Amino acid sequence: MKAVLVAAVLAASVPEPSGYWTGPNQGDTPDTVAGATVIHTALLAKLIRRERPVLIDVSPAPPPPPELPAGTVWMAPPHRDIPGSVWLQEAGKGDLPPEAEDFYRATLERLTHGSKAHAVVLYCHPKCWLSWNAAKRAVSFGYQQVYWYPDGIEGWQGAGKPVAAAEALQPG
Amino acid sequence: MKAAVLLSVILLSASAARAVELPDDQADRMKRWKDLSQQVFGDKKLENGAKFIAIDAPDRAMDAALVPVGVKISGKTGVKALYLLVDDNPVPLAAHFTFGPAADPKEMKIRIRLEQYTYIHAVVEGGDGKLYQAARFVKAAGGCSAPAGPQDEALKGLGQMKLQTMATYIPGKTMEVQLHIRHPNFNGMQMDQVTRYYTPARFINEAEVSYDGQQVFHFEGGISMSSDPAITFGFKPKEKGELTVVAQDSKETVFEHVFPIPQTEAVTQ
Repeated sequence: MKAVLVAAVLAASVPEPSGYWTGPNQGDTPDTVAGATVIHTALLAKLIRRERPVLIDVSPAPPPPPELPAGTVWMAPPHRDIPGSVWLQEAGKGDLPPEAEDFYRATLERLTHGSKAHAVVLYCHPKCWLSWNAAKRAVSFGYQQVYWYPDGIEGWQGAGKPVAAAEALQPG
Repeated sequence: MKAAVLLSVILLSASAARAVELPDDQADRMKRWKDLSQQVFGDKKLENGAKFIAIDAPDRAMDAALVPVGVKISGKTGVKALYLLVDDNPVPLAAHFTFGPAADPKEMKIRIRLEQYTYIHAVVEGGDGKLYQAARFVKAAGGCSAPAGPQDEALKGLGQMKLQTMATYIPGKTMEVQLHIRHPNFNGMQMDQVTRYYTPARFINEAEVSYDGQQVFHFEGGISMSSDPAITFGFKPKEKGELTVVAQDSKETVFEHVFPIPQTEAVTQ
């Protein structure tokens, strides 16, 4: 019981790193992102209805097919996320190469029609640092209404909200 | 048109079992099942088996890497084979059992990994040679990519087996037993959080179970099976006999164990 309490306290006190997070993608994340607003399912649903924010899913690319015995039926599963989202697999990386950062910036500019006041929502999975990084990065680009949705796809789906199959948006 | 018929078959089979909340993207899911069943069963027709096949699984699983799934087959004699497929896993065929003369294939249970909310399909090959299907929607996500822990730790005791009897021996009655095989069943999609490499796939892909020289079942398994594969099955033991399990993993390591059955308590070898 004590251990659970201690773990809960520790989990709640993950500090914001000064830069981008370059450790494992999965893990306890901070409660906040400086310059951004944390949003949960009910308010996100409302925001989507009212403001049509730009929804960016930064889930990483799925693992490549492993080495499997000949004849194994492999069918890459669909990636499902919040309907209307744009899936950017790289945008949340801690050590983002400059060209990938440019692609993220350009994509946001296009989707917000160049308005820094346009609401932007970043998410991936629960306990996923990628969306935290991507939100921080959007703030650094100058967006004034950045929302971080830490509950992720599973939180959305778990609340009974619809998901839809998405294709990743790649540069080029 | 065909898709519509398929859709209604699945809807019927789902509602027959009990009121299950259906996913919102039915059409996509139906299409995937069509593609998948085509790959596994070719052009063979799948009949509606909802009347005699019941899939037992949690609607919402606690641990997506360890989801218990049972299939009950009632009122069908001469069942030859059972397939369990997880539609939205990358390797959907989780288990394929072919039954021998010593089997009582009324109920089989396994534990599987679920990567995302998905339909699970059970396909039974009847004594008439026809294929029958039933489906069930299960909510769980992340079971395939869940980290497996350090490799050397996970490989300790590789291939050790345990057999648990779920009831005492009654002459002439089917006995339910659970076979456990110690094996990490690496699926090749688990990232080592430290090295950032994917641990190579290595899993139990075959097992032959026999009782006193008669086949109970042959099992073919894929990476959708959870680590430490567990299979619950039934057969009719004699007053004295031996259950032999020969399992092989995808690195062609063979594990063999013999369990005297009946036994008074669980035996570990």
